[in-house]
Amino acid sequence: MSKNELFDEIRENLIEMEEDAVIELCKKSLEMKIPAIETINEALIKGMDEVSKLYEEEEYFLPEILMCSDAMNGGLDVVKPHLNKSDMEDPIKVVIGVVEGDTHDIGKNLVKILMEASGMEVHDLGRDVPLDAFVNKAVEVSSDLIVMSTLMSTTMDGMGKVISKLEAKGIRDQFKVFIGGGPISQFYADRIGADVYTNDASDAVREAKKMMGRAS
Amino acid sequence: MSERKLLERLDHTTMKNKYTEKERLLRVLSGKLVDRPPVICPGGMMNGAVTEVIESLTENHNVDLKAMITAAKLVYDQTGFENYGVPFCMTAESEPLGIEVHFGDKYIEPRVTKYSKLPMEAVVKLEAICPQKEPRMKTVIDAIEQLANEDVPVIGNITGHMSTASSIVDPNIVFKYLLKKPDLSMEFMSYVNAYLIDYAIEMIKAGADVIAISDPTATGEILGKRIFEKYAVPFYQDFVNAIKPYGIPVIFHMCGNAKNVLESIDKAGFNALSFDSIVNMKQAKEVITTQLMGNVNTQSLNFGTLEKIEALTKVCLDSGVDIVSPACGLGMSTSIRQIKSMTQYVKEGYSHV
Repeated sequence: MSKNELFDEIRENLIEMEEDAVIELCKKSLEMKIPAIETINEALIKGMDEVSKLYEEEEYFLPEILMCSDAMNGGLDVVKPHLNKSDMEDPIKVVIGVVEGDTHDIGKNLVKILMEASGMEVHDLGRDVPLDAFVNKAVEVSSDLIVMSTLMSTTMDGMGKVISKLEAKGIRDQFKVFIGGGPISQFYADRIGADVYTNDASDAVREAKKMMGRAS
Repeated sequence: MSERKLLERLDHTTMKNKYTEKERLLRVLSGKLVDRPPVICPGGMMNGAVTEVIESLTENHNVDLKAMITAAKLVYDQTGFENYGVPFCMTAESEPLGIEVHFGDKYIEPRVTKYSKLPMEAVVKLEAICPQKEPRMKTVIDAIEQLANEDVPVIGNITGHMSTASSIVDPNIVFKYLLKKPDLSMEFMSYVNAYLIDYAIEMIKAGADVIAISDPTATGEILGKRIFEKYAVPFYQDFVNAIKPYGIPVIFHMCGNAKNVLESIDKAGFNALSFDSIVNMKQAKEVITTQLMGNVNTQSLNFGTLEKIEALTKVCLDSGVDIVSPACGLGMSTSIRQIKSMTQYVKEGYSHV
């Protein structure tokens, strides 16, 4: 089997949600002495790009995304230890969470999965996240992005408060603030001074790459 | 509108306010003509117990029987919604399965704080849940019994099987298992649906006039049509068929963009389908064959102007909804004044022709 044939197989199995097959094929890539970075970029990440497309085309939904993500992570776990430090360009760093008072996290999880799938380093604070935690984590990991989500109109205000906290500390400019969720809109984003509002997970990933000047 | 229907409606304008609120709602749910659509807020996921309404309560209306009854009456008295509805959350159904629940307060609704320690494989081996033996389900049943009356319809609210299942077991696991472990998933859904049916029957025996199910986690936006048809529709059909002998109508609410499952959910046999604000009601009306309910945007109810709320209510009515309701759960900070601009518009600002 040639390298490209192997990559094709990995991508196909990832799209078909076959985690065990992806793991085995990634092990094979190591036996074939294929550099880990190539397997990651050409097979795993490209595979998830296809999955993203299927999601946008409304062929795949959340259950399928979760399964594909497991397959990707299974493969990643196999090859990642074999990466050279110089291989990865600095990943875009993201701090993400659902705003304090809200426990709806399905949308946030989708954004996280698609961001990780495109190579971003995501620090997931989970749900019902105290507002200070967004700020503190972003500072701690020198994040590029702060991504906040909520499904409830009663918790929206928290987003504006996080931005105010960043301003009070004089560090607002260090981060790009992304917001999303059911009650959120571009109008609201403009009102509170967020950098980006996106309607869905795929857009969030695209905008993140655009903002950070990366190839999409 | 056909000429026959137009003539029937003209006759009905002379019968304005002839019906009690209960009669009107039950007539609509059985497809009969009425003078105007009722305006309701069923309860459960979509309830009118906003902070301003329940301010005066001294006990937690999600837990205490007297407070639950009082809250239902306060909603009716103060907002103009034409029904009583209990409970005011979505956690009673999953509580018996070892989850942790925060019972909420006047500002925030109850929510699941920890999923069950039991994995799905263990849950399906448990004995069936008996609603009358579970403290909060029993409280809801008792509340319905005391609220039952001649004029105001009492709606018993139930969380659908998919949402209940994903309140017991982490939804990420539930979703994956739908694809990875289909037999176990089916077993789990069956286990849950069985006691939801028992719960509904107890509500009916206690005097509920209508049952309303909300199943937000099952929205087509999350599951897609394929999974919805396999894991959602058959269980709704079982539910409806089990309730049928009792002659009580069932309303179903779905959150999010339900466009991809409109035809599927229509097959379930519900008496009315309630949709979120993103669903175009005119378009929905072309697809579904049962009664349509909805869908005044809840952001607007909370933060919009009174004019905007009236305009949105008018759009619902002009789209031909059979029952007017909020599009989804009301924010707790929604004011009574804002809600009333919607309910009063339906009752006083609407004319057929």
